[in-house]
Amino acid sequence: MDPVSHYLILSALMFTIGAIGFVVRRNAIVAFMCIELMLNAVNVSFVALSRHVGGLDGEIAVFFVMVVAAAEAAIGLAIVISLFRTLRSVETSDAAGLRL
Amino acid sequence: MSLTFCIIFASACGVVLMRNPIHSALCLIVNLVAVAGIFAQLEAHFLAMVQIIVYAGAIMVLVVFVIMLLNAKQEEGSYSTWLIGLLAVVSGFIFVDMVGPLLSEGFPQSASATDPTVGTVEAIGRVLYTKYLFPFEAASILIMVGVVGALMLAKTDKGKQG
Repeated sequence: MDPVSHYLILSALMFTIGAIGFVVRRNAIVAFMCIELMLNAVNVSFVALSRHVGGLDGEIAVFFVMVVAAAEAAIGLAIVISLFRTLRSVETSDAAGLRL
Repeated sequence: MSLTFCIIFASACGVVLMRNPIHSALCLIVNLVAVAGIFAQLEAHFLAMVQIIVYAGAIMVLVVFVIMLLNAKQEEGSYSTWLIGLLAVVSGFIFVDMVGPLLSEGFPQSASATDPTVGTVEAIGRVLYTKYLFPFEAASILIMVGVVGALMLAKTDKGKQG
């Protein structure tokens, strides 16, 4: 099997684990970490394919994914903090109302 | 290579399986550093460094700080068996759907020979400031909007008096 296939399978595995964790876990912070896991899985396949094709475009895409992940971390954790302030809980099942 | 793969798999499982959020966060840090190792293996040295500085450094410090701030407790209670079964089937289908074509048909061989200068800071910077200049500037605006938005979301009204 081609070496790039190994990286793609690893990436698929990581993405699946992250997706399961996002659905299963009830803690909002852990769900957030599972999103980071999925973003990283995509990054691995971007770099592997960029290496395979021989260009730089994939690595630039990873750079922008990291930018979006950093912005998402700031916003997401601020949302978790304000959720905790209103509900006194970070469980996603407690945040069931449309209005806080 | 296989050792790094094993570390990534084990720590990714750890993120999902650990009951205490702080243990999940520590597993995620191990995972992110191992992914930086993968980037280094693929000769993307700039991205390996950025991965460690931005992800394993900045973002995870923020996550651990929020866990500490909220004093998050361990998750209690178990999950219903049919939900876990349904998830196992669905995620298995997704995984096979992603990996199946690779295993059956293989992957097309690369056309170009690998160039050793690809992935250095100089090469990435050159592309980033010429071909991708507009997305780069848009990314800086996105980061700034993110910072202001996070401040607006997290501030309290009590802050005005003090």
